Amino acid sequence: MSEETLLYIALFSPIVSSLFAALFGTVPKRVFVGVVTSGLIGLSFLSSLALFIHLQSGSGVVHVQMFDWIMAGDFSVPFGFLVDEVTVTMMLVVSLVSTAVHIYSIGYMEHDKGFNRFFSYLSAFVFSMMFLVMSDNFLGLFIGWEGVGLCSWLLIGFWYHKHSAGWAANEAFIMNRIADLGMLLGIFLIYWTYGSVQYDVVFSAVSEADGEILTWIAIFLFIGAMGKSAQFPLHTWLADAMEGPTPVSALIHAATMVTAGVYLVIRANELFALTPEVGLFIASLGAFVAMFAATMALVNRDIKRIIAYSTLSQLGYMFVAAGLGAYWIALFHLVTHAFFKALLFLGAGNVMHAMNDELNIMKMGGMRKVMGWTAILMLLASLALAGIYPFAGFFSKDKILEVAFDGHYYILWATLWITAGLTAFYSFRVVMLVFFGKERYKDFGFHPHEAHDYMIWAMVPLAVLAVIAGFFEHQFVAFVSNVLPVYEFSEHTHHMVGQLILVTSAIAITGIAIAVFSNMFREGVFSSAFRNTILFKLFDNQYYIPKIYEEVITKPYMELSKVFWEKVDMKIVDASVDGIANILRSTGENTRGMQSGNLSYMLRWMAGGMMLILLFAIVYTYSDVLLNILQGVAK
Amino acid sequence: MDYILSLLVFFPAVAGLFGFLIQRDAMRSYAITIAIIELIFSLALWANFDASNPFMQFTEHASIVPAFGINYLLGVDGISLFLIVLTTFMSLVGIISINPNTKDLKELLIALLFLEMTMVGVFVALDAILFYVFWELSLVPMLYIIGVWGAENRIYAAIKFFLYTFAGSLIMLVGMLVMAYFYFQATGVWTFSLLDWHMLQLPFDYQLWLFVAFFLGFAIKVPMFPFHTWLPYAHGQAPTVGSVILAAILLKMGTYGFVRYSLPLFPDASVYFLTPIAILSIIMIIYTAMVAFAQKDIKQLVAYSSISHMGVVVIGTFALNPEGITGSIFLMISHGIVSGALFLLVGVIYERRHTKKIAEFGGLASVMPRFALIFGIMMMASMGLPLTIGFVGEFLSLLGIYKVSELFAILSGTAVVVGVVYMLYAYKNAFFGEVTNEKNRGLKDLNGREYTTLIPLTLLVVFLGIYPKPILEPVDNSVKAMVSLMHQKALTEEAREVIPEIKSEEVK
Repeated sequence: MSEETLLYIALFSPIVSSLFAALFGTVPKRVFVGVVTSGLIGLSFLSSLALFIHLQSGSGVVHVQMFDWIMAGDFSVPFGFLVDEVTVTMMLVVSLVSTAVHIYSIGYMEHDKGFNRFFSYLSAFVFSMMFLVMSDNFLGLFIGWEGVGLCSWLLIGFWYHKHSAGWAANEAFIMNRIADLGMLLGIFLIYWTYGSVQYDVVFSAVSEADGEILTWIAIFLFIGAMGKSAQFPLHTWLADAMEGPTPVSALIHAATMVTAGVYLVIRANELFALTPEVGLFIASLGAFVAMFAATMALVNRDIKRIIAYSTLSQLGYMFVAAGLGAYWIALFHLVTHAFFKALLFLGAGNVMHAMNDELNIMKMGGMRKVMGWTAILMLLASLALAGIYPFAGFFSKDKILEVAFDGHYYILWATLWITAGLTAFYSFRVVMLVFFGKERYKDFGFHPHEAHDYMIWAMVPLAVLAVIAGFFEHQFVAFVSNVLPVYEFSEHTHHMVGQLILVTSAIAITGIAIAVFSNMFREGVFSSAFRNTILFKLFDNQYYIPKIYEEVITKPYMELSKVFWEKVDMKIVDASVDGIANILRSTGENTRGMQSGNLSYMLRWMAGGMMLILLFAIVYTYSDVLLNILQGVAK
Repeated sequence: MDYILSLLVFFPAVAGLFGFLIQRDAMRSYAITIAIIELIFSLALWANFDASNPFMQFTEHASIVPAFGINYLLGVDGISLFLIVLTTFMSLVGIISINPNTKDLKELLIALLFLEMTMVGVFVALDAILFYVFWELSLVPMLYIIGVWGAENRIYAAIKFFLYTFAGSLIMLVGMLVMAYFYFQATGVWTFSLLDWHMLQLPFDYQLWLFVAFFLGFAIKVPMFPFHTWLPYAHGQAPTVGSVILAAILLKMGTYGFVRYSLPLFPDASVYFLTPIAILSIIMIIYTAMVAFAQKDIKQLVAYSSISHMGVVVIGTFALNPEGITGSIFLMISHGIVSGALFLLVGVIYERRHTKKIAEFGGLASVMPRFALIFGIMMMASMGLPLTIGFVGEFLSLLGIYKVSELFAILSGTAVVVGVVYMLYAYKNAFFGEVTNEKNRGLKDLNGREYTTLIPLTLLVVFLGIYPKPILEPVDNSVKAMVSLMHQKALTEEAREVIPEIKSEEVK
């Protein structure tokens, strides 16, 4: 099969899948809908795999252009797709995790009356995500960008009968839209600077623009990335997005969509490489978010929110690498993170299912006895997340710390280092509270059970990859180095690598140890002394940011809108229009008396009018004389 | 094809006259047939249109008052072609959408056929007086539609609509007369032909005054802030079909006027007034979107959202480069389809519940899933999601204005945010959640008549979102020719700078 065909299959089989499921959108559940869609997404994965093999053999990138999309003035953009090493890496990750999540969802959604609709949305998401990573231009990327946003809206609000779900869906969409405005402005500026939005045209001429413009492009694009990847201050939607079904959280809000921002920075690396000051800002913000999110994960009791904050934190790590110019490392962490985080979420899904959608980890405990496989899989994922050797997260996360160290950004390094400890702690806090210790769920009358076999099997490939992916580091570098610059470590760092790894592993293990021991003694409950500190309250209330947004943005916007409508539009703008109309009418009303039809009355008006006109004529005719007289009087 | 434009203009009116002779029961099928034939005429026009020719085609000419140069002059180019097709298409959709049980259906349909004549007339007239006649005539059937078939407060709304827009167009008429007089002074010939006027280079201060006169007429029609308050009343009181036609086509007459008259006649004045107009547009975009957010009535919300979108159209037009102008014309088409569809959708629910208050609904997605789906698609198009029709025009308009000023682009770009807020908020309150109001529980999903109108619109929204080229290409060709003319005519240095020079090979 030709590469072009493979590309089209990889891209379009998800949309076929979505439309197929949509045919059954309003009828009751049909299992084959789940099976067929999983198959079609699997087909997309196989095509991506074939493309990967093709690229691996060194036969060059695949580039196709279908037909023109928008053309106006000098602007012209086609539907064009490009598969190079970076793209194919993303395609593999997206289609693999999607396939696993589709199969898993057949079981997870089995009792949901929106079963068919769910698969339609989920496949539409895969299509948008593939579109996003495969486009050969910025505007095509924007199509995917908005498409994943739409699907995310549909899926967060999937259980639309819940007020909170509808609210969270809207919040996510609106917040993303704010960032998308930045992205759009970036695209405008790119077009007016380079005369095109095609990657190849722009990147080959990237250095021709002057520095200030480049900086602005980088800033605008990064604002877009901040929305999708939920970076501070646009982060609040991600935790609320957990209202969606858990497979959605695994696919969209952990493995794929939220990494789109990182992908954008990697894709536009030629541009970001020329704007190191923006890069440094990205890295600093990333490090800040890494720690900021980790602290919120420390104290939360909601299993999905904890994992969501951890996603946020890991995205911060990726941005540090991308910001400091280590693009392949960012991509590497993106890949490994996709595997272990999706696994973690799917495991959480099993737990929730077993617990009738209960999310509070304080009500769980000791569940390894009833769901052994889930416990093992989640343990593996947590080890990978904590960055323990030889799991995948160890390799990728360590590289990021090395990059920060290598660039002499010791503050960034220290932040990430502490965060590594926090990460290990909260991951194992969850594992301990859910799977070990006293079986608290019995007090609440739950009867947990293990998930279906095929759900576990769907998780296995992810688990295997979460364990072994790290060992392919060198092959990975060699593969993507065709597209991405290889980050060269200095000699100094090279010597220090051993120590750095030790220090990092030490803090991770310490974190785990604290989590394990504290759970043994205190059932994971924080001491009441700690719970009363300001710090705990800050963490627990997400630094009061959602509240601040509510008070400072949402409510004033509503109030101002009301004022605009009731006071400005009705009372000022419209009332003045009516006022003018009323003046005209009342003039008419008041002068109507003239036209009474009474002859002598009308004659009087006529005489008066004549006098006036005569007077006017005299003044007009003798205006010079009159002026002279007036001037004479004035003297 | 020689007289196709005359046919397009007068066929519906003549058919409307014959309509008086038709039996009441047969009137609906009669009117639908006429509207279908009219649509076919316009499609034939499109099929025979030479897309590579940017200038006037199918021109017809006959003298009316030779002494003053008033002519029966018709013609169509890329800019007006699709507005004509939109008119015939939306008229058909509107006519089908009318509930057969409407009282005095026959008169309503006749009024609509007359309205169709005036709207097509506005878009094909190339003589200012002819244009003005159609422009004013269009008020009459609309006044009648709102005043007779409207809601409780219909008389106030109808009169406000009539007087307000009428006042604006009178000033425009004065502008036209003065323009003709200037032309006479300059050349010794009386003419109201737009094609002749285009060739005249007016002194700068004349341009300013005339620009203002024309502007008032067009701005009230668009309607631009602060002349917009007639619109929510008109929409709020008009029957569904009235709102559909009003939003889809009548408003476009204003923005069409900007493109057809203001820009090519007064290029320097257009540049001179660019900043104040951009500011007004930005106020329109943000302020009316916020007002829309505060609405409790879903129809009023769509009405205000219309104003907000027209703000993007105006700012795209005044970007004065081909990207922006082509984008704004495309946005006129797409807004016509999308806002028309949204008003139809509001009509669907109003017909079932006799209320338009958002708070009365909730959980509609579970009782009317197909209705919710189509509403959702139209909402996405209204928000300008890529691969829907709404994106193309909005993107190009904003792209265009970015060239003029980054600040204007950032401020008007907030359209993509504020436009989402009120839409999602309304959608959530109407469609999401549990069904709390017992009256909503037994609502029927869409019926055959509603599918007939909504499905073609939905297909267009998606198709033209993916493949806008059939429309963009002819529009763009004509726009480039116009911009090129403007650049040549421009007197001031500033105008020459803002209005780009089009390379000659691009203007075929």
